[in-house]
Amino acid sequence: MDLSAVTAALESKSYEKIADICDNLMLQVAADGAAFHNDWPYAIHLLSHFYVHDINSARFLWKTIPSSIKESNPEVNAVWKIGQQLWLRNYGGVHEAIRGFEWSQGLQDFVAAFSELYTKEVFQLLVSAYSTITVEDVALFLGMSEEDASSYVLQQGWTVDYASRMLTVKKQPVVTEQKLDPRKLQQLTEYVFHLEH
Amino acid sequence: MDPLEALVAQIQGLSSSSADIARLHTILKQSDDSLRSNSSRLSPIFSLIDPSIHSLGFLYVLDAFTSTSVSNQQQAEELVPIITRFISGCSVEQIRLAPEKFIYVCKRLKDQVMLLEAPIRGVAPMFTALRKLQVSTEHLTPLHADFLLLCLLAKSYKTGLSILDDDVFEVDHPRDLYLYCYYGGMICIGQKRFQKALDLLHNVVTAPMTMMNAIVIEAYKKYVLVSLIRHGLFSTSLPKYCSPLAQRNLKPFCQNPYIEMAHTYSTGKVADLEAFVNANADKFESDNNLGLAKQVVSSMYKRNIQRLTQTYLTLSLEDIANTVHLNSAKEAEMHVLQMIQDGEIYATINQKDGMVRFLEDPEQYKTCEMIEHIDSSIHRIMALSKKLTATDEQIACDHLYLSKVGRERQRYDFDDYDVPQKFNI
Repeated sequence: MDLSAVTAALESKSYEKIADICDNLMLQVAADGAAFHNDWPYAIHLLSHFYVHDINSARFLWKTIPSSIKESNPEVNAVWKIGQQLWLRNYGGVHEAIRGFEWSQGLQDFVAAFSELYTKEVFQLLVSAYSTITVEDVALFLGMSEEDASSYVLQQGWTVDYASRMLTVKKQPVVTEQKLDPRKLQQLTEYVFHLEH
Repeated sequence: MDPLEALVAQIQGLSSSSADIARLHTILKQSDDSLRSNSSRLSPIFSLIDPSIHSLGFLYVLDAFTSTSVSNQQQAEELVPIITRFISGCSVEQIRLAPEKFIYVCKRLKDQVMLLEAPIRGVAPMFTALRKLQVSTEHLTPLHADFLLLCLLAKSYKTGLSILDDDVFEVDHPRDLYLYCYYGGMICIGQKRFQKALDLLHNVVTAPMTMMNAIVIEAYKKYVLVSLIRHGLFSTSLPKYCSPLAQRNLKPFCQNPYIEMAHTYSTGKVADLEAFVNANADKFESDNNLGLAKQVVSSMYKRNIQRLTQTYLTLSLEDIANTVHLNSAKEAEMHVLQMIQDGEIYATINQKDGMVRFLEDPEQYKTCEMIEHIDSSIHRIMALSKKLTATDEQIACDHLYLSKVGRERQRYDFDDYDVPQKFNI
């Protein structure tokens, strides 16, 4: 079984590509009739689905893992624990599950990258969903201590009311490209032409 | 010389030019029966001919070889690699000369991997086979449904999605379309792409039909549930273009519990709906729809919260929890947060006052991205309308159609009679 494509993607940190690479490789290996279950990098494969927010595919992959591997491989179970928390949208639980296992050499960087991405995304969610929020909740959502969490969000321009321990969220102005391409005019002409004929 | 040996020699000799292959095809057709009667002696031939050069010959031999029933796993274990090797190597031009044989062989592959309880082994070969067989991406081959079935069984739902994005325009047999849309619907449900699932199931339910069939009934059951999840309502009246048979018969078939579930849903009470699902759990279970039914229940919380956004500008979390029957303000907050995350509502939560402020959709339809999106939609619709016009013209010139319409007109169109009959004296 040739896993060099997966290793290469891991090394070049193109984590978002790993899910597709693994999926295709698995189908290929299976079609060749090889017994692949025991050597398959299930932990990486599961995590790669989380990384691209495809929790459904991760769930289906988990269902195909033979029970012998589920029983004997603690790391696969640990990755799946992250998945369970993601599925339940238990934001604090995700961070806990990430911290709650001693990840092996091969997985450490990937888990760290996922954790960083997840924290960033949850922060964006907080920005869009809250106008005020307690320090305690922010710490839970971001998986940090209360001090770390407040200093993290203060850097982003949030303000804090120490008396009530309440943070006021600063919305980031959304910058969007609005300039139009003159070629669009040509397209509009084509539309009108189509409508008239 | 043994006739089989002679045939192998001919396959080897006549596989280079297209004229040769045409001749070989005639020979193969003639020897089809003798191949079948000798099916037990065929296995050594596979090492003598090359699937990529002698594709047509290989296909005929393989077809005869697989026509005997394989019932034990050991035989299947031998057969699967041969078919897999053939599918990956075979030449597109040659197999398209005998598509029905190719389809048969691929379907046998599906049977074998299912016998081996390893559906995943068939997924990649079936995909290759399907792409080789299809003339264009709009062509729905009889292998589509089998491919999707294997994807479902192997739980490679994501792989299945890849062909569901192709728009289908040509169909060989109606059954292919029914199954393709039904399995496709299930794949989309698994990936929580409910709109696409609804579209596919809608195609099954409204497809032309001359006899009731089980696929349509099962699709209708899922259609009811997915419609509740996606739109929060289900209209029992089917569109006019639907076959009269479906309009008359589907509802009675699915009355209990599906249509009744839609009625219960329309009251908007989560507790009632939950009780209904629990009371009918065994019926849903036997249809393998229990999970989907439960998703309908949990989607109702969202639906009820969404309804609030239409009435209120701000609302306390406490009030949300009370109106939609959640246990606590915190639970309501989590629901609102999830919905914001999924882009289902626009709102901001103010923890200090325990309030939620509902906002308008911030999209102003003036970004470049949105314009690109609208553009691509217009292009798709234009292509579709062109296709429709072309099909319309084609039908208008169709001999069968014209002769039928001509006959009916004579019967019904009274304008054609010059002299009104009742004034005859």
